[in-house]
Amino acid sequence: MSDLDRQIEQLKRCEPLKESEVKALCLKAMEILVEESNVQRVDAPVTICGDIHGQFYDMKELFKVGGDCPKTNYLFLGDFVDRGFYSVETFLLLLALKVRYPDRITLIRGNHESRQITQVYGFYDECLRKYGSVNVWRYCTDIFDYLSLSALIENKIFSVHGGLSPAITTLDQIRTIDRKQEVPHDGAMCDLLWSDPEDVDGWGLSPRGAGYLFGGNVVTSFNHSNNIDYICRAHQLVMEGYKWMFNNQIVTVWSAPNYCYRCGNVAAILVLDENLDQQFTVFEAAPHESRGVPSKKPAPDYFL
Amino acid sequence: MADPDPSTTCPPPSSASISSPPTFCCACGAPTAALSSPPAWSDSSPPPVYRPIRAPAINAPSATASIVLSPVPQPLPVPPAEPPFRFEVPSKRISSPDDIRRFHASAAGRHFLGFIAALSHSVRGRKLSDPVPSPLPGTLSGLLSILQTLARWIDEIPPLPHTARYGNPAYRSWHARLSDEGRGLVLSLLPSDELHPAVDELLPYLLDSFGNAYRIDYGTGHETNFAAFLYCLARLGLIKEEDYPALVLRAFAAYLDLMRRLQTAYCLEPAGSHGVWGLDDYHFLPFIFGSAQLIDHKYMKPKSIHNQDILDNFSNEYMYLACVAFVKKVKKGVFAEHSPMLDDISGVPTWSKVNSGMLKMYKVEVLEKVPIMQHFLFGSLIKWE
Repeated sequence: MSDLDRQIEQLKRCEPLKESEVKALCLKAMEILVEESNVQRVDAPVTICGDIHGQFYDMKELFKVGGDCPKTNYLFLGDFVDRGFYSVETFLLLLALKVRYPDRITLIRGNHESRQITQVYGFYDECLRKYGSVNVWRYCTDIFDYLSLSALIENKIFSVHGGLSPAITTLDQIRTIDRKQEVPHDGAMCDLLWSDPEDVDGWGLSPRGAGYLFGGNVVTSFNHSNNIDYICRAHQLVMEGYKWMFNNQIVTVWSAPNYCYRCGNVAAILVLDENLDQQFTVFEAAPHESRGVPSKKPAPDYFL
Repeated sequence: MADPDPSTTCPPPSSASISSPPTFCCACGAPTAALSSPPAWSDSSPPPVYRPIRAPAINAPSATASIVLSPVPQPLPVPPAEPPFRFEVPSKRISSPDDIRRFHASAAGRHFLGFIAALSHSVRGRKLSDPVPSPLPGTLSGLLSILQTLARWIDEIPPLPHTARYGNPAYRSWHARLSDEGRGLVLSLLPSDELHPAVDELLPYLLDSFGNAYRIDYGTGHETNFAAFLYCLARLGLIKEEDYPALVLRAFAAYLDLMRRLQTAYCLEPAGSHGVWGLDDYHFLPFIFGSAQLIDHKYMKPKSIHNQDILDNFSNEYMYLACVAFVKKVKKGVFAEHSPMLDDISGVPTWSKVNSGMLKMYKVEVLEKVPIMQHFLFGSLIKWE
């Protein structure tokens, strides 16, 4: 068994890698990700997944209902980390699968795959708490810069974490972005990761403070000019796991059940067959008994 | 249920280069374009420049020693404000780590933290039902009556049926009513003509104490503003040191009850939560005051939070236990997974150690954090110096 296969098995048991292994894994992943396009081509059949947010045991439920990689071809729409307890294990498992089966899993960037955001929403704290240093956080956030920004399935379904940007009318404009950087505070790259569809006419200001709200007419014209059937995105909690908007021109897929351990929502993945026929598979949070118990840590330094 | 909403995750304050589109502050919705530097970057987290992964990762110096050795914030008397008063509408001043250092080096910074520590000290070993002076001093009964009024509005402004966002837009109506009537509420606390002009300075603190209407969220920054409101009343001599136990056990307890109701009724999102790695989604101060209450308790130890019987029977007397009970009620799953901080802290041997740790942690994780303190307000009573 290769080191990588062993690491994948270890991560599937929710056991984190050593710091040196994380570094080596990130270096290998970088060589693969750097070759990917900002609009990464993906073939059907493929199963599309939304936000995970460090909910490792719930992601195991996802693989249970969706099938294992590489048997199932996966597209993850970002937001692997932050908020949940197991962001490290979650992201490293996905990254290890990417390195092992680069053509069977596509990872694109979410707004939480960012240095700044992870310092506020938990991933930074988690790395520091689990490794005692910020090195793993640095390796991971460095690799975030290499993640693709979007995917295009069979030239028909455009997939992105957040949504559209007023600076973007064609996919070619996305292809020209120099993505290897921290997510900027504004501009096309920021908007793709931050925007939300909303019942507005044209563009609206986003209450998030980044990205825009975009209306049905914006989606219609984008889909028309790029000759795509619909947009698939994540980024917003939907209680039923998925939600169509604007006459089936855009769908939100959400894959973190009982989000933040309290929202009571179900999660979904979108299964596309070779003819791009859609089927949503809905799943719930992993039951109490199948979640491992985190090992006890000493109290934070303040309490020593 | 008060549920966090991914749709309202907000970015940290944006950098100076923003011109179009304008971005808006995470907590107050005000444009942030005027900030002169990217404030969210601390010393250990350099600005977002592209860095190849082959560059060696920089090891942050271990902070353990300095945290362990750092002094526990101590109670300080509140310096009385002297006439002639020059009240002013308070404004935001903090936008960088340098500003944070300046605040903590200033008299205002030291005395505000000393006030929190003094409140904590005043309730050591006291239950919520312990007797307090009766009748309550005017300011305290006034505060309680304000909080009752605000709670009544929740009944009068029911949550709207809605689908799109998580936070309930009816909260905006509740908050609009606060804005409309807040001035009268503050004036009810100001007994003399001489102090009436203070309303302009005090009102913004009160308006920021219950969450943000634009974002429909609430966090430790809002809680800190409420503490600042109380501090200003203390500086005006309207709250005296002998009132502190009643201030915490009655007024702050009522504030916490009100916040729980607001969080639950309108699904307020946690503002800038660290996910499971924060102490709590919304609050910090009840963990300080609550751990003080339990100091030297005969049989309840920090590990007693794992005993459901204790939570059931004593949450009505001890804020710390009430906070744990609330978390257990709203969160499903393994406690150590959804609340690892509280779980790890339950291993601390004594409540006294928990309390001193909470005070240290509050200073570092709340009062020294730019994303939180950029909203802190400065006027004549809490002076920017």
